[in-house]
Amino acid sequence: MKFFKKLFIVSLAAIASSGCRKLNIAPTDSYSELDFWTTSANVYNALNNNYSLILTSGMYFNPEGMSDNAYSQSNSDLLLIGSGTANAQTAEFANDWAYYYKTIKSCNEFLANIDKNKTLDAATLTRLKAETRFIRAYEDFNLTKWYGDVPLVNDDITEDEAKVIPRTPKADVVNFILSELTAIIPSLPTQDQLALSENGRVTKGAALALEARVLLYQGNKMADVVTVCESLMNSQNGTYSLSPNYANLFSDPSTNKNNPETIFALQYVPTTTRTWSDFWDFCPNSVGGRTSALAPTQELVNDYIMLNGDTITQSGSGYDPTNPYVNRDPRLSATVVYDKYYWNNGNGINGTSKTIYIKPGSDPTDATTGQAGPDEYVADRESSSPTGYYWRKYFDPSAQANFVSGDNLYLFRYAEILLDYAEAKNSLGQMNATIWNETIGALRIRAGFTDPNATGYPASGDMTSIIRRERRVELALEGLRTDDIRRWKTAQVVLNGYAHGAQFSGDPTTDNGFIRAQKRSFNPNRDYLWAIPSGDLGLDKNLTQNPGY
Amino acid sequence: MVFAFLSGSTFINVRAAAITAKHVIAKDVVITGRVNDDQGQPLPGVSISITGTSFGTMTDLNGNYKLNVPEANAKGTLSFSFVGFAKEEVAIGEKTIINIALKPDNSKVLNEVVVVGYGTQRRSTINGAVNVVGAKDIGDKPVLNPLQALQGESPNLIIQQSTLDPGSNVSVNIRGVATLNNNDPLLVIDGISAQSINELNLLNPNDIASVTVLKDAGSAAIYGSRGANGVILVTTKSGKLNQKASISYDGTYGLQVPDVLVKKVSASDNAYYKNEALVNSGLPPAYTPEQIQQLAAQGKGTWDINHLLYNAPQQSQNVSLTGGSDKSYYFISGGYQNQMSNFIGNGGSGDKFGYQKYNLRLNETAIVGIFKLNAILEYTKSRNKTNSVGDNNIVADADRVPANYNWQDANGNYLTNPVASQYNEYGVLEQGGYNQADNDRVFGNLNGTVNITKDLKLTGVFGGTIENDGNFFRRTQVNYLPAGVYGNDLTTYDNNSKSNSFNTQVFANYNKTIAKDHNLGVTLGVSSEINSQNGFQLQKTLTDPTFGNATTGTLIDATNSYNSITVQANSLQSVFGRINYDYKNRYSVDFVFRDDASSKFAQGHRNGFFPSVNTGWLVSDESFMQPIKNVLDNLKLRATYGVVGNNQSAGNYTYQTTYFNYPAAYGFGNTANATSVVGGAGTNLSNPLLTWEKAATFNVGINFGLFNDKLTGTFDYFNKVTSNIQATPLDVPSIFGATPPQANVAKVRDQGWELELTYTLKTPGVTQSFSGNIANTKNTILALTGNAQQITYNEDVYQLIDAVGHPITQYYGYETNGFYQNQAQVNSYPKIAGNVVGVGDLKFKDLNGDGVIDAKDKTFIGDPFPHYTFGFTYRISVAGFDLSAFIQGVGKRDEFLRGELVEPFHYNYGATVYEHQLDFWTPENTDARFPRLATIGSASNTNNWRTGSNLYDFNAAYARLKNVNIGYTLPKSMTTKIGIQRLRVSLVGQNLLTLTKLKFIDPETSEFGNDENPTSASNSARAYLLPVYYGVGVDMTL
Repeated sequence: MKFFKKLFIVSLAAIASSGCRKLNIAPTDSYSELDFWTTSANVYNALNNNYSLILTSGMYFNPEGMSDNAYSQSNSDLLLIGSGTANAQTAEFANDWAYYYKTIKSCNEFLANIDKNKTLDAATLTRLKAETRFIRAYEDFNLTKWYGDVPLVNDDITEDEAKVIPRTPKADVVNFILSELTAIIPSLPTQDQLALSENGRVTKGAALALEARVLLYQGNKMADVVTVCESLMNSQNGTYSLSPNYANLFSDPSTNKNNPETIFALQYVPTTTRTWSDFWDFCPNSVGGRTSALAPTQELVNDYIMLNGDTITQSGSGYDPTNPYVNRDPRLSATVVYDKYYWNNGNGINGTSKTIYIKPGSDPTDATTGQAGPDEYVADRESSSPTGYYWRKYFDPSAQANFVSGDNLYLFRYAEILLDYAEAKNSLGQMNATIWNETIGALRIRAGFTDPNATGYPASGDMTSIIRRERRVELALEGLRTDDIRRWKTAQVVLNGYAHGAQFSGDPTTDNGFIRAQKRSFNPNRDYLWAIPSGDLGLDKNLTQNPGY
Repeated sequence: MVFAFLSGSTFINVRAAAITAKHVIAKDVVITGRVNDDQGQPLPGVSISITGTSFGTMTDLNGNYKLNVPEANAKGTLSFSFVGFAKEEVAIGEKTIINIALKPDNSKVLNEVVVVGYGTQRRSTINGAVNVVGAKDIGDKPVLNPLQALQGESPNLIIQQSTLDPGSNVSVNIRGVATLNNNDPLLVIDGISAQSINELNLLNPNDIASVTVLKDAGSAAIYGSRGANGVILVTTKSGKLNQKASISYDGTYGLQVPDVLVKKVSASDNAYYKNEALVNSGLPPAYTPEQIQQLAAQGKGTWDINHLLYNAPQQSQNVSLTGGSDKSYYFISGGYQNQMSNFIGNGGSGDKFGYQKYNLRLNETAIVGIFKLNAILEYTKSRNKTNSVGDNNIVADADRVPANYNWQDANGNYLTNPVASQYNEYGVLEQGGYNQADNDRVFGNLNGTVNITKDLKLTGVFGGTIENDGNFFRRTQVNYLPAGVYGNDLTTYDNNSKSNSFNTQVFANYNKTIAKDHNLGVTLGVSSEINSQNGFQLQKTLTDPTFGNATTGTLIDATNSYNSITVQANSLQSVFGRINYDYKNRYSVDFVFRDDASSKFAQGHRNGFFPSVNTGWLVSDESFMQPIKNVLDNLKLRATYGVVGNNQSAGNYTYQTTYFNYPAAYGFGNTANATSVVGGAGTNLSNPLLTWEKAATFNVGINFGLFNDKLTGTFDYFNKVTSNIQATPLDVPSIFGATPPQANVAKVRDQGWELELTYTLKTPGVTQSFSGNIANTKNTILALTGNAQQITYNEDVYQLIDAVGHPITQYYGYETNGFYQNQAQVNSYPKIAGNVVGVGDLKFKDLNGDGVIDAKDKTFIGDPFPHYTFGFTYRISVAGFDLSAFIQGVGKRDEFLRGELVEPFHYNYGATVYEHQLDFWTPENTDARFPRLATIGSASNTNNWRTGSNLYDFNAAYARLKNVNIGYTLPKSMTTKIGIQRLRVSLVGQNLLTLTKLKFIDPETSEFGNDENPTSASNSARAYLLPVYYGVGVDMTL
């Protein structure tokens, strides 16, 4: 028995003593709160994380499908929003809401902790904070743009604080954004001051461009818009100009990465995992497309003017409904793929250069296979376009398989500033030939127009329509169309009735044979604001719902 | 005073016998021998007496005895008796060595010895809810995964398959869902706890001697912080003392015939229905009558699931060698099992798709004096080769394309998928690459027992596993005509993960009988477990198309490649014990406890004490029961109460806030150059207060035997309340900006019952047995987070809900109320705002009667958890023939199915209609299952299919003839001539017949794991097919 007792006690002691040590186990691959921020490289990584959370490529492109520019046959939320049946449970509303607040939290956490670093100098710390405040302001702006009054979260709040935070009136949110931008601009470098390796970081120009957009969207701050745009057009805050080739901005990787027009872009890097591949579902099936998840509408195509400057409906424009895509604004073929479009593959690995046959029965392979060609319009087929149009804009010939691309997605480019400027000047009644030549004229010349009737100051016509049409075609697929029709309050017009596709429906008695892609509905008393997500509505007792939901 | 160990009603005072013996020492005849059970295991404590005298002795721990027989009695008879065994008498005659094997007294099944935690217990003294599954119930089934063999064998041991793909894991659940998290039971193999229930998958089913299922807190409390979900104890086979060496072989070979349950309509009918859908949606028809005729003339192509399948072989070969001397025994076995996938192809190189497993086992025991040493060593290798695209995609892509299409043209070229161009799965299976998983596992267990005194033994165990899991994946390019390509990213990756787990235990067992009728048993021990795991992966894209190695343009995927830096480690330090006491076997009580300290929790929250109290009353032993003893042989009432824990829900480091760096967060610089990519950093928020979940369980049970134990049964009822359930707090809005860290917030009650009955019928030459079990559980959420009453999860078109007062994870949405049959109904019936409806569309119930259909009318529309699970086994043996048939099923379950196999022309990526979808509404078929046809985006489709309702609900109850085994054992007289002790040939069938209302998918499939996690993907009815197995088997013993 003594032996047993000894053995037992020794065993117990051995296990107990080895056990105590083994119960405190720390992860082998991460930092703790104590030692993370003191390392400067970590601070930069945290900053980069904020950059990576600005927006996803999906959030960049999806709004296009909520506008009259495009139709998605497969994104159920876009279908709901398009048909006017979205509600407080719609996932898109909840997901975007949560995404913006996630980014804001990351920024707030950064701002709350960065001063723990004692190695970086004061100027650097101030700049890093300014960049983060820009990102936070951009998220605040998106929030208030979609949801109106929103909780304004400027601190790294606790769970309990989140449960009671009320909505801040939209005007106050806007004022906060503007004051933040004013505050950070002095701490930011200009584009010209950026080292090449820093390209893509937040600059004075980016802050001013955001300021211009925020002011423009208010609709009653046009004089301020003019001032801010001029501060960008006069090169005081960095030198910007239009890049000579419109198509190359989106489809030439080297131009995309390095041009004088970029003010701020979502930065991607080829052949890494910082890439996007939405284009896989944008382009024709026969050149590597998977499905057609976002298809341009006939309404967008119709807004591209003729080379002679006339709209297609103007008498004497030369528009030929049987050959509708000739002599059109060169930006059409840089943006949209239409029937018999010649797809230049640019030596990319996705597909080959070829003619795209979209009209039913037109593909020469039909005869041999007995089936509709892969790009042909067929009612209700996910692999081909429901409108008879595909996208070309943002095609990256250097993309990897499955269109994994490293091209940047523009958030602010100089063309937008010129359009903001033109719109503001026009609404102030100050449009004239000089302003025109600086803005619309310059954009058209850059686009490839040569006819003076197109490039020169128009003697007649509704200038507001001209500027709005110009804005639509110049910026198509850059996510701004939805914003524009909402701030112009034209959504109730352009999003009621059918979204159409090309004249391929085969039923000439309905809409003259143009495909009816989706019946849309927009309730002006409700749909100008998104619903506050039902989930948060129940959890934050001080949250209220927008009208009509 | 020295009393016998494990005494029963035939107790003998040994000292008295010994004293008597001393007086007559000179003239004694000394008789020695050994007493074994019928399995060859030594029986300690057997009473041996000379019939008609008071002379006697008992066997020692190794079953040996020595008896001095007075000369006067040298011609007498020895009587051997032991509780639970039939009494034997042997005439002494001239013998001085008398070895004997006692046969169990079948009328006393209560006395079988059952493996429980850290020891064994007699059936009669077990008060908890415990089931034992024997080797026969496992080994006779042609399955490679022992878990599959356990399905239906133990009530409320609920085993579900999400796919029948070879090598796939199953979900295991004991007594229903009691926590929102991991509901895996703890698996203990030969005394060593496993890291995952799926380790059982790697065992050779033929190596298993028995499986004990511990269900209630009373039995599982000895496993403390891991016992809340029940425990599965597996004991593997070993040899026996004094057993003649024998070699056994058994093998089966058969074919798995895929049962395809869906059938597309013809392409012409498909086009006709498409037109109907378009017209119903106010759109022009897509096909002219001529085109439809052309399609009819074209006939049926090969593009379907059947053309991707073949009758795949499955085989199992096992050899074992077992034997023993009087000081040692051994069991050695080797197994090879091979189940080929029913999918054609090999991915472009190597073997065809399928699963192979190799097992080698050595179990050796040696007895040296008071020491008994046992070593178990097992090596397992498994390999599972699957396709590179996933079974779901294969089934989906085969199903989505109309019936006139072909996989290949006349020249063997793969044709473009007209719906999703990059997926011609025929080409993918033949050339698109593969995913090969390789697993190597070494299990070792070295244990020693020292018999310190007759009553006290001390056991030390050291054991564990070293496991290596590797995965090799390659995607290779397949080109289609006229367009489309699969796999041109040419991804290759390799990963490898190594895990170690070690367990050291020291425990003492003390057993003593006091004053004849008082039996006391004490177990006390300590245990230390240490587990760690790390691994690496290297992933590249654009690799060499032939070999997959690096070439010009090859890229290393930095995000998906990693080194072995991340170590997952945890440890558990424990003290445990059990005290059991019974009086005459009739009244028993035991107290079980364990105290655990787990590294998964912060100091101050890591220790937990888990006790249970268990009582039992053998009513049939009472004198007042004697009048009906000839009918009611035994009746026992049991009750247990205890608290057990669950620490599996917690991650290893979740109580610590950490920051981690990651690559390729963003890019700066103005060149298209990878060097401009920059890394990022993220945070893992923590909750330092995290601790384990606690389950308090009350269990009452009854065991009975009737008519000379021809009919035996058990019934149990339990009530279990799990609190401190770890969950994401639900009361934090997303404005917080992050998912709040997990906290111990939820509470669930789980109630249920289980019944097991066996009826044995023996007539001369014929033995039959009928055994069945049925069980049900129902859980109720008592709390989610504070006052939060419910949370809904959007699951594609419908919702799932967790709500206080309702079971975990229910389907949620609108209740349908037939169809709009005429315009008057369309005009008057309440509708969902915005939904424009017509005749033939679904009506939804206005549950709150407010005249509109809105979120307030949503309700609970289905329960996905299996209820009334049952198993039934029939066995008969007659004249060398034997048959067993096993039926398993579920009495009640709702299954929501969605996707192209439910909705005609689902979105636009389903271009087909199936025969099982044809019961849709038309003016001629107003009493239909499904609404009228309409296309996606139409008001009709939005109302019917995009509005979550019980339209998607299917009845997944079923009964399945799971297994039939017919054997013939050749007469021994015949086989011994060729040196064979036993030779049996058999025919085996699996999944032969299924009774169910759900005809187009295997009703066993579930989208859920055993936690009913509401964020699981929805069930698109695309499971791997149900293989029906037909095979032959041979087993023989040399």
